[in-house]
Amino acid sequence: MATPFDVQNNTHETKLTVRGSLDINTAPALAEEIDKIIAARPGKVAVDLAALDLIDSSGVAALVKLYKGIRSAGGAVAIQGARDQPLAIFKLLRMDKVFNL
Amino acid sequence: MPAPIRLIVPGTLRYRSIAVRVVAEAARLVSCSSQRDPKDLLDTDVRHPFDTAVVSAFMEIFNNVAIHAYNRKGGGLIEIEITPTDAELVIQVKDTGHPFDIDEVAPLPSDLDEASLPEGGMGIHIAKTMLDEMTYKPGPPNLWRLCKRLPATPLSSGAARS
Repeated sequence: MATPFDVQNNTHETKLTVRGSLDINTAPALAEEIDKIIAARPGKVAVDLAALDLIDSSGVAALVKLYKGIRSAGGAVAIQGARDQPLAIFKLLRMDKVFNL
Repeated sequence: MPAPIRLIVPGTLRYRSIAVRVVAEAARLVSCSSQRDPKDLLDTDVRHPFDTAVVSAFMEIFNNVAIHAYNRKGGGLIEIEITPTDAELVIQVKDTGHPFDIDEVAPLPSDLDEASLPEGGMGIHIAKTMLDEMTYKPGPPNLWRLCKRLPATPLSSGAARS
């Protein structure tokens, strides 16, 4: 199964782009990558969800893990581009306000 | 009542994508929404609110069955019966795995903030909130019934005055 994400690091921020379906089958690989991102203690993480078509609760949990891990270390997380089904899920869970979507 | 669509898959996450694609297409039959890519007849991209609700709920229930009823080990089947009509979509999901008490599922925190962001326990909440009706009868066989209705079409202004 294709990995639906990639990570780019630059001097100012870490950018995580997630595509396709982030679900119970794909979220575990992302969660492993998130552990690495958190361990690097970046000052800012930008999460681009513009190409994300579907998300389930496992995918949401992975992004919450990233958000909490970065914020607890004093960093900032900007989640952008959520649309359609993923945005509906964040709104249903009332996470849209926490994530400033 | 049209004949239902029936799909039987092994009770593991490996077969989740097949089931989700079929459910997405059945939802589009009811909502009459179009696919993003007309060449992909079983595209899982869902944008219509009806399709979004149905697919979101079904994904969570399939996850629940494969992970909790069958403990990620399979060993049984997931029988899915989808009945699309002009007004609603009903999905029944049957498994022979371990039952659970749905009333013991904890609700999400009422005041969500950074500290209380949940990292689990969201699936049943998503499914229940997305649907008009959701029931679970523990077995075995365990039986889920999911129902989503299209919003009632408003009367035209002329009809409302007559």
